[in-house]
Amino acid sequence: MTRGTDPRPLMRRLFEPRRLDTMAPAPRIFTYAVLGLWTLIVLFPIYWVLVTSFKIELQVDSGPYYLPFVDFQPTLDAWTFMLLQNNTLGPYLNSIVVALASTFLALLIGSLAAYALVRIRFQVKLAAVLTFIVLVIGVIVAVGALDVPWPAALVAAIVLLLLALNTYVRRFNAAVGNNDIEFWMISNRIMPPIVAVLPIYVMFQHLKLLDTQIALISTYTGVNLPIVVWLTRDFFAGIPLDLEESAEIDGASKFRVFFTIALPLVRSGLAATFLLVLILTWNEFLLALFLSNANAQTMPVLVAAQNTTRGPQWWYMSVLIVIMIAPVIAIAGLLQKHIARGLLVGAVKG
Amino acid sequence: MRVRLANIHKSFGHVEVVKGLDLEVEDGEFLVVLGASGSGKTTVLRMIAGLESVTSGRVLIGDRDVTDVLPKYRDVAMVFQSYALYPHMTVFANIAYPLVVRKRPKAEIQASVSDVARQVQLEPLLDRYPRQLSGGQRQRVALARAMIRRPAAFLMDEPLSNLDAKLRGYMRAELKHMQHELGITTIYVTHDQTEAMTLAHRVALLEKGVLQQLDTPTNMYNSPANLFVAGFIGSPPMNLLDGALVDGRFSTTAGSFATPSHASHTTAVAGVRPEDCRVTEVGRGNIVGEVYTTELMGDHTLVTCQVGGTTMIVKAEKTFNRRNGEAIGVDFADVAVHLFDKACGQRIG
Repeated sequence: MTRGTDPRPLMRRLFEPRRLDTMAPAPRIFTYAVLGLWTLIVLFPIYWVLVTSFKIELQVDSGPYYLPFVDFQPTLDAWTFMLLQNNTLGPYLNSIVVALASTFLALLIGSLAAYALVRIRFQVKLAAVLTFIVLVIGVIVAVGALDVPWPAALVAAIVLLLLALNTYVRRFNAAVGNNDIEFWMISNRIMPPIVAVLPIYVMFQHLKLLDTQIALISTYTGVNLPIVVWLTRDFFAGIPLDLEESAEIDGASKFRVFFTIALPLVRSGLAATFLLVLILTWNEFLLALFLSNANAQTMPVLVAAQNTTRGPQWWYMSVLIVIMIAPVIAIAGLLQKHIARGLLVGAVKG
Repeated sequence: MRVRLANIHKSFGHVEVVKGLDLEVEDGEFLVVLGASGSGKTTVLRMIAGLESVTSGRVLIGDRDVTDVLPKYRDVAMVFQSYALYPHMTVFANIAYPLVVRKRPKAEIQASVSDVARQVQLEPLLDRYPRQLSGGQRQRVALARAMIRRPAAFLMDEPLSNLDAKLRGYMRAELKHMQHELGITTIYVTHDQTEAMTLAHRVALLEKGVLQQLDTPTNMYNSPANLFVAGFIGSPPMNLLDGALVDGRFSTTAGSFATPSHASHTTAVAGVRPEDCRVTEVGRGNIVGEVYTTELMGDHTLVTCQVGGTTMIVKAEKTFNRRNGEAIGVDFADVAVHLFDKACGQRIG
């Protein structure tokens, strides 16, 4: 059949594709129209922020102006103020350090945990878990309310726990397995973060670590661990067991198998997880608001701070937002190949 | 080195898959563990490798009890059915992995890898990744990785079953040659009796976790220890006829014939291999029957005969030309008859 001489009637030509792997003209036009519209909706705010960052207060208030050089004369006022006069670089550096460090830590610890949950069978007696919880509460009450010195309470609790493990705990069969541990981990994310903010604040207050990067890094690491475990466990589960058994017979230790066989095989999945967790920490606001002040302030808090008593200073805010989203877009671009593979195909197929 | 299994039991939950296995593999021997799927043969191999713990019993390699020793300290090498090549490493890195893990000097690794690669003809492919190799090449990488360490024993889990028939035959010969050259004790698990017969010094036939017979391929074929072995070894399988044995004469509904035995047994089974049978005129053979169907195999014809409520397969000339339903006799020499007790399945006499 030659092109252009399609003998079918007009309606069938419009609505029926010529081949199974193509779209007919009418559905194709409709699909691209919808996608195009959606693209505009998604991209417009970014464009708007970019344009606003080159405006001055007057242009924002008397606007809206859409096109630089046509509607209004762009200036670098907001940029020079934010980058040179205002302390923007401090929070920016904080954000970078906190996000990278906590993401790296969460990925390292989380993937180790996920791997263990996939490859090792855990059987913890339920009675032991309950005893442990009761003892923890006991220690808190003893130290907090009864003024028992904490080393004494701790030693007593450890002794009682060991005693329990060797006596009545053995008589119960109910045990906590891998699935329960996994669910418990993810259940930490069910609780709204606002519930945990105050205790965490008080804890760091006592540790004299408020307004430090360490406080933010450790909190974010803990908060994101469940996500890392939950995502990476499926990647590890997808590795054929033969590969790891072969490595073990070849003489490798469990850690060596993890770092030289398992991790490299799930690198696409890890890249996707890395980006997701990085974005979560990079944009995190609530915990940062509570735990940081002048020294450890991160970008989301600084952006929010532009909403002053004089009203929201959109032009300054826009500058901050532009420099905030730029590195994320860059990293997403760099990891794009991995992410598509990691999330769609599964991590292992070599 | 010698490998010895002493009274091995293995259970998964309530299911006992290996029931008291005793096995001794001589130094340099090629032992094939043969069995159908579910016979426990792979579990046995995995217990020798240390990938599976034993429920009870001892595993010895050389004079060392390795029952509770981690795989990496057992000094064995294993070739998996899937080859288990590390997909993110080159062929070179794959073969070198056991030495790299053992922190051998770079120069030694380089030399060993190129030495082994030469033996299995992989030299031009050392920079490739496993996904760029054909099935046969991957198989050879797996072999090379096992060979590089000169282990106490090779463990092979159906290593040829992922290859096509032609390549399988070729690799079988290669494997046998290689094992002979290296002289390393090899334990080879398969469900394929051709592989067992051609490769093994001795075959261990396993069924439902119990060792049925441990012998040379020839002995196993010529004097099967029980009904299971008789039915398993040989293709087409041995013909088995139910009947009674009186003073060494075996009677079935299709006729009676002499046997090499002088015993009597009310419920016995007589076995005759298809190639020991001949089709004759009615009344001239040991038993009577009729042709059920014929299959021309090229150099011979397999004749399925209906004899007294059961069927027998006779290996005949390629010129065999009787019609289905034609009455015939089946003849065989008395010495070709194997006798078994029907109740316990054991060989009689």
